[in-house]
Amino acid sequence: MRPIHVLLADDDEDDRLFFTEAFEEIKIDTIIRTVNDGVELMNHLNQENIQIPNILFLDLNMPRKTGIDCLLEIKQLPHLQDMAIVIYSTSSSEKDIEDTFVQGANVYIKKPSDFNSLKKILEDVITINWQYQTSGLNRDNFMLSL
Amino acid sequence: MQLIKPGTLFKSPFFLRGVFVLSLLMLLYISSVSYKHNQALTESSELLVHSYKIQLQLEHILSLLKEAEIAQRGYITTSDSVLLRPYKIAPGQIYDSFLRLKSLTIDNHEQQYNLDTLLQFINYRFKLMALTLQSSEAIPFNETEFGINLLQGEHLMEDIQAQINKIDRRELLYLKSHQQTYEKEALFSPVSTFLFMIFSLLIVILSFLKINKDLHVLKKSNEQLLIINESIKHAEVIGEFYISQWNQATNELVFSDNLYRLLGVEPQSFPPTIGNYLKFVHPDDKHIVAKSEESIFKDEKNDPGFYRIIRKDGEVRYIMSVGKFIHDENNRIHIGIGKDITEQHLSNVALEERNHELEQSIKELESFNRVASHDLQEPLRKIQTFISRISEKDKGLISESGKAYLSKIETSANRMRILIDDLLLFSRTNKAEKVFAKTDLNLLLENAIQELAQNIEEKNADIHSDPLPEINVIPFQIHQLFVNLIGNALKYCKPGIPPEIKIECTKLTSDQYPAFIKDKGKKYYKITVSDKGMGFEQQYAENIFLLFTRLHQKLDYPGSGIGLSICKKIAENHNGFINAEGNPGMGATFSVFLPA
Repeated sequence: MRPIHVLLADDDEDDRLFFTEAFEEIKIDTIIRTVNDGVELMNHLNQENIQIPNILFLDLNMPRKTGIDCLLEIKQLPHLQDMAIVIYSTSSSEKDIEDTFVQGANVYIKKPSDFNSLKKILEDVITINWQYQTSGLNRDNFMLSL
Repeated sequence: MQLIKPGTLFKSPFFLRGVFVLSLLMLLYISSVSYKHNQALTESSELLVHSYKIQLQLEHILSLLKEAEIAQRGYITTSDSVLLRPYKIAPGQIYDSFLRLKSLTIDNHEQQYNLDTLLQFINYRFKLMALTLQSSEAIPFNETEFGINLLQGEHLMEDIQAQINKIDRRELLYLKSHQQTYEKEALFSPVSTFLFMIFSLLIVILSFLKINKDLHVLKKSNEQLLIINESIKHAEVIGEFYISQWNQATNELVFSDNLYRLLGVEPQSFPPTIGNYLKFVHPDDKHIVAKSEESIFKDEKNDPGFYRIIRKDGEVRYIMSVGKFIHDENNRIHIGIGKDITEQHLSNVALEERNHELEQSIKELESFNRVASHDLQEPLRKIQTFISRISEKDKGLISESGKAYLSKIETSANRMRILIDDLLLFSRTNKAEKVFAKTDLNLLLENAIQELAQNIEEKNADIHSDPLPEINVIPFQIHQLFVNLIGNALKYCKPGIPPEIKIECTKLTSDQYPAFIKDKGKKYYKITVSDKGMGFEQQYAENIFLLFTRLHQKLDYPGSGIGLSICKKIAENHNGFINAEGNPGMGATFSVFLPA
């Protein structure tokens, strides 16, 4: 099985650390890459000849360019249409959930406050049957909780 | 007070004018009839005199004739020529009378003809008398001729008498026929005149009554006007408004007394003109008043205007004015009403300021919410995550006391998490859109029990519930209500004894309403959640719904003190109520009253 390419866009250094450490402990073959904010993310995705990630984890609250802005841009880019987008946010406000769902994000997860929970939810996301998840967009299972 | 309809009075002049014209016509008729009647009377008396004159003349002629005859006879018998004098003067006198008769009957052919005949007879008679005289003096005296002449004279005299009678009769006939027509008229006119007089009198009386009634009505409406006028004056003072009247036709302007008072001057102390009024208007607002005046002239209407005036004592007051045209038969009058709205304006301004402040604090609260939901949670989440990293990864390297401290940090962090989450929940309960939907409460309860399943299982709790109704609620809030109430019952159970929780529901009749339900017209469901747990002193029953109120040590029963506040808020959001009954050691019962 080919490794899964995972990209995280998060301005918080600690969160990037938790994220990569969690994947180190998950027994799934993944290649993790992180960018520090929205601008960096879009610059990266707009490069030619890059490996398009299978899954993008997108923080919402980022300086310079927010997660929502990135989501809007990504949905305009044809070469990124196969990339699964997971919103990865501290907030679980109804408004954020609604907005990102409407803009075409696939899954919404709230950053857990426990490392084990983090590992568990990331593992769940990675092992989702993406074909099922992306084909039948469903508001009810958009918010992924443990 | 009954108001007089304006129509009643307006119609009166027409009625009175009609009556006047009618009376005038009748008077004219009556006077013309009287005049005619008088005329006829004069005519009759003239005619009577005329007849008598004729009669007199005729009799005079006859008596002259007879005198002449007697004179002649006397002369014949006595031959005294003195006795002949009447005979000699008779023809002249008779002729005079005859001429008088002729002139008296000049317009009557028949009588003229009769008179002519009479004259012929008379002339013949004189001729005969002359003949008789001749024959009496004749020598020789012819007795036969004399006798014939005498006899003929006798016959002629009879004819004359007959002719005179004929003329007399004719005249009498005229008089009679005239008398008849006159009598006919004379009889008719008094009756009709009398009737007309009665009728006129009737009309005059009716008019008098009508005028009297109108006067009464007028008096009454005058009284009403006076009362209304006084009321308005009084109302003006109480209501702090004034009235101005402007007559478009005469360009006459009237200011009410209160206008002057509102300007801080004596009533009617300056002539009512726009210019004089403008002197009191705030310099910055003069254009508003001027524009309003302009629009009255141009468009014949003006919108409500707001402007300031400066009273004589220098105080600034706020005025709102509106205008309206009213019409009567001839005039267009603009009624302007101005009201001193200073107090209202100032309180409005204050209210606006407070509103602004409130908006400001709501904004601040919102930003606090944002801080609480995101910015506060983030560091806390990291603390918790780092704790979980240490306690998992580096457990072996930490001393026992270090482990104990770490556990205390973890508990504190968890507690802070609960506080933040519950606070957010509370503020969301306040703020969230209240979308009502007819919902099966059984489903909401089931979901709530499922959410608490782990807790229920741990405590080995027994939950029994009555069938619940389907009512109009905000579904997620009622779900939260069940979670909080059942969670509460689970939390405050007696240690070691499996909790027994009962959920019951009854539809209340109005006589079962507790005192705090004031609106007896509404229908309510009473849903109770009761447990046989720790319970509480009844004196705390009100307090437990206050924010951050806890009856127990936080170590014994972890909690934020927000859960029941949320329940109260939810009940209020549904226009319902919640209350609690407690009995220490026996359990607690929470009752939620929701409108059916």
